[in-house]
Amino acid sequence: MIDEGLFQALRREVLATWPTGQEVSDEAFEYYQRKGDSGVFHQRLQEAKAAGRTLLQPRGGVPLVHLQIELLRHLEQVGTADLLPLTVDSYTRQNRYEEAQRHLERSQQEGVALLNGFPVVNHGVRNSRAVLEAVAAPVQIRHGSPDARLLAEISFAAGYTSFEGGGITYNLPYSARVPLERSVRDWQYVDRLSGYYTERGVVINRESYGALTGIMVPPAIAVAISVFEALLAAEQGVKSITVGYGQNGHIIQDVAAVEVLGTLTQQYLQRFGFHDVDVTTCFHEWMGPFPMTEGRAFGLIGLGALTAALARATKVITKTPHEAYGVPTKEANAQGLLCSRLMVDTMAHQVPLDRAQVAEEARWIAREATAIVEKALELGEGRFDASVVRAFEAGVMDLPFCPSIYAQNKVMPIRDATGAVRYLEHGHLPFDKETLDRNQELIHQRMGAVDTDPLEQIEKDINFFLEAEGFSAVSGGS
Amino acid sequence: MADESVANAPKGRVVTGVIGADVHVVGNRLLAMALERAGFKVINLGVLVSQEEFINAAVESNADALFISSLYGHAELDCEGLREKCIEAGLDDILIYVGGNVALGKQEWSEVEKRFLAMGIDRVFPPRTPPKVGIELLERDLAARKRSKG
Repeated sequence: MIDEGLFQALRREVLATWPTGQEVSDEAFEYYQRKGDSGVFHQRLQEAKAAGRTLLQPRGGVPLVHLQIELLRHLEQVGTADLLPLTVDSYTRQNRYEEAQRHLERSQQEGVALLNGFPVVNHGVRNSRAVLEAVAAPVQIRHGSPDARLLAEISFAAGYTSFEGGGITYNLPYSARVPLERSVRDWQYVDRLSGYYTERGVVINRESYGALTGIMVPPAIAVAISVFEALLAAEQGVKSITVGYGQNGHIIQDVAAVEVLGTLTQQYLQRFGFHDVDVTTCFHEWMGPFPMTEGRAFGLIGLGALTAALARATKVITKTPHEAYGVPTKEANAQGLLCSRLMVDTMAHQVPLDRAQVAEEARWIAREATAIVEKALELGEGRFDASVVRAFEAGVMDLPFCPSIYAQNKVMPIRDATGAVRYLEHGHLPFDKETLDRNQELIHQRMGAVDTDPLEQIEKDINFFLEAEGFSAVSGGS
Repeated sequence: MADESVANAPKGRVVTGVIGADVHVVGNRLLAMALERAGFKVINLGVLVSQEEFINAAVESNADALFISSLYGHAELDCEGLREKCIEAGLDDILIYVGGNVALGKQEWSEVEKRFLAMGIDRVFPPRTPPKVGIELLERDLAARKRSKG
């Protein structure tokens, strides 16, 4: 855990980087007490987990307070969202507050959205709080920032009790040249700040962004990364952790992945003595290339929600029929929620799933993920932060289609004959012979049947759900 | 990032990367892997690569070719003056291939190609060209260069 004296010194430094930092004080704890809020987001997740329900959460952020309120009310009242988002703009994610300020002021003057999200830091504690207070459902801060220290300060002081991201998952998929060592350290601050609030009676829920690059991430890679972000958070005093996974499009594999995600994270937390941490799971509806036609888009959204419910994920992040075109209207966003709602509430318990197949797939995902985590722990010599940095350096942890130079990018995923994600190249992932033999056999079943360049198959695999492009299991993918 | 796994002498050395302020990474990874699998030594610079970074990597690795990707429509601006800078850096006969979505909007391909060739780019490829097409042409260009040097 970060030393208290050092942490308070760092806080003064961070809060001085933009004027609204001065609005942060221990008044926040009085505010939480007045509201009777001891971590409402965490409570809602725990209730859902106990009841075996899957909660719905959309994405969404616009620059102005009244527009954000209008958006969230629509998502809550028309879209029936259980949990709400406050998605932060790209300038704030990169700590470019001056540019965010310029675009915010122009947006205010012209009454239009010139930022692709809500600039929490520029709005400060009071304005950000106004959004939260205008809706009934709890709101989470979602972004993509390698250094979210000030963003977390303003968010927690404003009353937001859930915060997405982590030193790995908000760096590697988003940045090309930010050292992992730095982002992991800056996120230890966010986790410590979460621990600081938790110790004072306000449980902050921390969520790892498990969808990562959103392009055929092999389940074991997502699981191993989540385990480390959970350990890094727990080490700083976080008591409510959500781990995530993005839909790959193969129901058995996706369900197995979510199950392993929850159990393995819990096991590793136990092993290192973090016995009082609550773990919940988040399933992201398909993050890859989205169909342009609404019918197909709704089909895919429904499949995602159904898979989430079958996997008993605590929550599902929904997509919209406008996904292929950019930022959706609030109406389209609500339609994606309603499509997901139908699946989650009425369909999932009617769909039988071959549990033996799920268990078999889960066994292999756990075996692969455990191999990665164990090797990384060995490299870290007892330190979680060093484990992560050294494991990525050595390629023992890796992420395909990653823009960052701090991942080796030696892993290349490919689908097998059934559409499940396997490895064409496993790079330096520390897998045993049985694991590699099984992988070879599975991809051979597909590739053996067709005499084509595997790299051309991968393009089809990425565009799995696109019109006229998609993967076909019957024809061996050709 | 450079691949060290080519056991035998590589067929050639290629610097790959996505030029300019572009972060599209998928094609870059597939191309780099296709080159490696075809027996080339690849120095993959990834995304957000400047002209200077391409040239420095080419000088350091004594590269035979630059494979430049661009998907956001600004390739023409990003590649302007690259040939001249290569010559200044002593890379007199380095091959420069450019591919991806190199032009903004819908344009006649022959016109786009003409403009790139006039800038001193050796080959330019339209959207969705499979990696193997570029690799076959590279093998042919390298063989021709060997012959002409005798």
